[in-house]
Amino acid sequence: MHQRFFSWLAKTSLVMSLLVLANCSKFQPGIGYNKGYSPEQPIPFDHSLHVGTNNIQCQYCHNQVERSRHSNIPALSTCMNCHLQVATDKPNIQKLMAAYQSGGTIEWVRVHMLPDHVQFNHAAHISKGVNCQTCHGQVETMKQVYQFSDLSMGWCVNCHRQPENKAPLNCSTCHH
Amino acid sequence: MSEIHNHEHENNTETPTFVSHPEQWTSLEQWSRDPEFLKMAEAEFQSSPLREGSETESGWARREFLKLMGASMALSAAACVRRPVQKIVPYNKMPEEVTLGVSNYYTSTHFDGNQALGVLIKTREGRPLSVEGNPESPFTKGSMSIRSQASILNMYDPERLQGPKKKSGDKFEAAKWEELDETVVAQLKKGSVAVLTGNLASPSTQQVLKDFAQGFGAEVFSFEAVSNDELLAGQKLSYGEAIVPAYHFEKAKMILSIDADFLGTWLTPTVFTKQFAQGRKEISKMSKLVTFESNYTLTGANSDVRFRIKPSQQLSVVLGLAHEIIVVQGKTAFAGQADVKAILTPYANAATQLGVDAEVFKKIAADLIQNKGQSLVVAGGLATQTQWQLALQTAVNFLNSALENEGVTVDGTNSLSSLTATYASITQLIKNMSEGKVKTLIMHKTNPMYTLPVSFGFESALKKVEMVISTTDREDESGVLANYILPDNHALENWGDAELANNVFAIQQPAIRPMFDTRSFQLSLMTWAYLAKVGPARIQEFETYYDYLRDFWKREIYPKHSSLFSTFDSFWDQLLQKGFVGTAKSISARKFKSESLKLISESKVSASEMELVLYPTAQIGDGLLSNVSWIHELPDPVTKITWDNYASVSLATAQKLKLKQANVVEIEVAGQKLELPVHIQPGMHDDVVAVAVGYGRTKAGKIANGVGQNAYVFLAQNNALPVFSGQPVKVTKTSKKYKLACTQDHHSMNDGYNKTPRPLALEVTLKDYEKSASAGIHKHHIWSIWSSHQYNGHKWGMAIDLNSCTGCSACVVACQSENNVPVVGKTYMLQGREMHWIRIDRYYQGSPENPTAVFQPVMCQHCDNAPCETVCPVAATVHNSEGLNDMAYNRCVGTRYCANNCPYKVRRFNWFNYAAKNEQLTTPKMQMNPDVTVRIRGVMEKCSLCVHRIKEGKNKAKLENRNLKDGEIKTACQTSCPADAIVFGDINDENSAVSQMFHKDPRAYALLEEWHAKPSVRYLTKIRNNGQESAGHDAHGTHKQGEHS
Repeated sequence: MHQRFFSWLAKTSLVMSLLVLANCSKFQPGIGYNKGYSPEQPIPFDHSLHVGTNNIQCQYCHNQVERSRHSNIPALSTCMNCHLQVATDKPNIQKLMAAYQSGGTIEWVRVHMLPDHVQFNHAAHISKGVNCQTCHGQVETMKQVYQFSDLSMGWCVNCHRQPENKAPLNCSTCHH
Repeated sequence: MSEIHNHEHENNTETPTFVSHPEQWTSLEQWSRDPEFLKMAEAEFQSSPLREGSETESGWARREFLKLMGASMALSAAACVRRPVQKIVPYNKMPEEVTLGVSNYYTSTHFDGNQALGVLIKTREGRPLSVEGNPESPFTKGSMSIRSQASILNMYDPERLQGPKKKSGDKFEAAKWEELDETVVAQLKKGSVAVLTGNLASPSTQQVLKDFAQGFGAEVFSFEAVSNDELLAGQKLSYGEAIVPAYHFEKAKMILSIDADFLGTWLTPTVFTKQFAQGRKEISKMSKLVTFESNYTLTGANSDVRFRIKPSQQLSVVLGLAHEIIVVQGKTAFAGQADVKAILTPYANAATQLGVDAEVFKKIAADLIQNKGQSLVVAGGLATQTQWQLALQTAVNFLNSALENEGVTVDGTNSLSSLTATYASITQLIKNMSEGKVKTLIMHKTNPMYTLPVSFGFESALKKVEMVISTTDREDESGVLANYILPDNHALENWGDAELANNVFAIQQPAIRPMFDTRSFQLSLMTWAYLAKVGPARIQEFETYYDYLRDFWKREIYPKHSSLFSTFDSFWDQLLQKGFVGTAKSISARKFKSESLKLISESKVSASEMELVLYPTAQIGDGLLSNVSWIHELPDPVTKITWDNYASVSLATAQKLKLKQANVVEIEVAGQKLELPVHIQPGMHDDVVAVAVGYGRTKAGKIANGVGQNAYVFLAQNNALPVFSGQPVKVTKTSKKYKLACTQDHHSMNDGYNKTPRPLALEVTLKDYEKSASAGIHKHHIWSIWSSHQYNGHKWGMAIDLNSCTGCSACVVACQSENNVPVVGKTYMLQGREMHWIRIDRYYQGSPENPTAVFQPVMCQHCDNAPCETVCPVAATVHNSEGLNDMAYNRCVGTRYCANNCPYKVRRFNWFNYAAKNEQLTTPKMQMNPDVTVRIRGVMEKCSLCVHRIKEGKNKAKLENRNLKDGEIKTACQTSCPADAIVFGDINDENSAVSQMFHKDPRAYALLEEWHAKPSVRYLTKIRNNGQESAGHDAHGTHKQGEHS
């Protein structure tokens, strides 16, 4: 009984995985990683305009990155610092304004995501003088943000291994 | 006792007769070398899917399945499905105090009905993660109890009521607050209102109640199942005022406890543990603890000299000693008083009656005299709430006053003024209700339907009440009888305050908005007063309880401290930051009323063949916080049994009644019967049956319902005082059997059959220690052909002082809360699959009649030569440059070789997908600590020495551009420890506290040093101050009471 069920299950999963393999999509740099991932956002926020053209510092919006493991997505009130005045006629800004005034929020689509068993700390890297661009690429030129690095363990460790970086290489540096 | 290997026992034959008994043993099975036990001790894992059944069809099928799955999984890994899309939802306006990923701590207070603790609530993005101790708090200095830490799960309990309910027919249906308020106010206006509450530590809540009572002409009753009736009544008789005094165990050089489990369950055990440990830190001046007890409690286990008595002998102990001191030795101010002598003379032969060596008894009296003014006699708790409890309390008060301890170690000045609940109060309420004098009853923080036996007549009296309102958070035993359930906020959702001692006040801050549509009890009362336009102005005018509270503090408490602050606001800000205000006053002695001694000769003590002892356990307490899985999963500090209560009897009694462990017996007390499994407890008096209260809930929720039996049914009453213990009890064996999930033999570091188990938790006597500070430690000659690791930066290590550790188990819950340790439940507990990262081994020493016990917390030892690391085929567990033994869960494939090879048995295999189960429930997962990975099925896990806290500390220092300070990083277990037994730090820093203990303290030893695993944990020998020298191996001879090896 068990034997039959198990072999049925195993065979089914074999077939399923072959099917999935056949449907592989386009932007895969390496198996299982998401380099190049660039989802559409509810509001097409343009980094090239804000950072590139207007020279706004990264930390103006991602203001907690120096003291937290997370680089925060700014609260709507941060957007409103400028957009109460600037470009208020644009439909997207009006959408933002509506969300802000109703006490709501915008659901951004997450671009950079590490697995749950990886603990990455932004502040530790920033304090060491690592540039945002080293990992995130030339964000100031991106109209729509995409994942620049593959964020694989090998990619992390490559940097940590450079003697001049004096970075720890323990498992518990990232996994605990 | 010394650590000499006894080779003559090594070649025992397989007959497990009582030939040679180990010096240290965890259970009677081990002591008697029971074959079942030996089999279990040898097996690495008690259960394994591979071992279940033989190599039958299903075994084959499983492997075939794995083989096929292997192929298909390899393929699906190659498939490129974009992970599920996650959304990031930013704040609308960033709250000023929130930094994502950085914890905020809020000072607050936790009150469990008897003990108020200053706590810090750790929150992350507005979500409470854990309750930790507030290191500033005056009496506890950051110590935590089991239940204060577990209370957070109660808030996230998915079975909490999510809004107010009204009864229609037999069922409750959802209702609206406005609609209910209208009905309630109309009812309240009819008058004859009664409010029944538990102990209320909060002075502002008491004020709200007073205002409410004034407005509606209501009467307030207060009742607590585990009450302090005996103390209140006893103090009133002896000193004139019904108070619960504070005690100062740290000032006492000689402590005598008669059935008062002050380290485990009595009054404020966390405070007492702190004090007790303080009094023993400096070993040359350490205090001495002598206990006489009828149950084997944590206090007894930690005592220097322990005697077993039955409840009917409690009075003889105190008065026998009083006779020795006052009449025989002629000491103290009462010597020579004829009336005192007349009262004490009947107890001249107390030692003989108690079966205690007369010389030993004299020695105790001599110790008390010698430490006059620096000793302390305590008796209290359910085990002393007997028919003769008043006589006992009077005797204890008399002895304390005679020994001039009153005003020094017994403190009536800084009394615990919030502990006022009595059984007299509820008796009066029941009387009023049955006479029809109560039209409306409001119940708050109490559950009389569960904690009172039917004989009290609460239920029948309740039927005469027109409207019953309950503020309980669930449809519990009493709640179901209410007409309306108006759920109160959880303490973590509500403002409040607490009186820690007379004139020392603490604040309770909410750490989260109410999760559901609940409303605080105080605001309910205020709303009703406002709607009915009754009561003083303040109860009507404030819109929230917070406003009321702030006003109360401004009026009542601030004026006493106003000299230190310029404005109330600055006072308030500092209060919120520190968590408390006020200091204890200097103590003044009260005068003992000699006339109260009359009571002693008047009261009759009736001894029975078998006597009942009821007791609360440290983890469950009175049973009201029962639907929390952590406290059921936590092994009882003494018996190490989980998920049950049981009837404890001595070995001799078990043999007499032909009982084996976990046979079911019927216990009958005054016609009340209960069937309970038997637990054979070493050190019990032969004429005593002990049963824990707090179990046997029927309407607490899925976790607590049906766990154990409700022993409150045995509660009797005598002159409005509760009688929990000392009643005659009949024990009858039944043919039924039951399984008790006991962890004491799991994860044994001794494989036991052919070898004499090594003593692992080392203990020497004070005399041994005085001869040689490193007594008992056997240094092994160890060498290695390998060069050892080099640690150039930090090298983390931990030292645990066994002389301070009382085994209270607060650290186990702290670890569970911090590290997302799953709960496995009784079924898997029975199979040895508990997941606790830290366990507390309890070793008995000496004969099972009256053994002493040593407690040893064991967690991953982070060995330099870690045996686990070398056997991992996938390098999932590897050594780290700072001396930690890292565990990479995502690399682990679950071979379990590491657990097999670990000599300390600290690795835990995650058998099931607890994470996924938890994910299905909406609220409990909110408690998960985001700094620690939630492990999936099939990986090995273990203590990481809170590596996330190490990282956090190091990062903080780095960001602030400074070096780490010693003591800055604390592990979770360390922060909760009331005895300060755990010290963590950098061993490479020679000035660090831990390094001093490693290198300088002669008591430090490494566990299983001869294995040369080079652990990063050191234990400090336990010292027992019993006035004797270790006699070596004579651990199983016949002992008279009080003689210890």
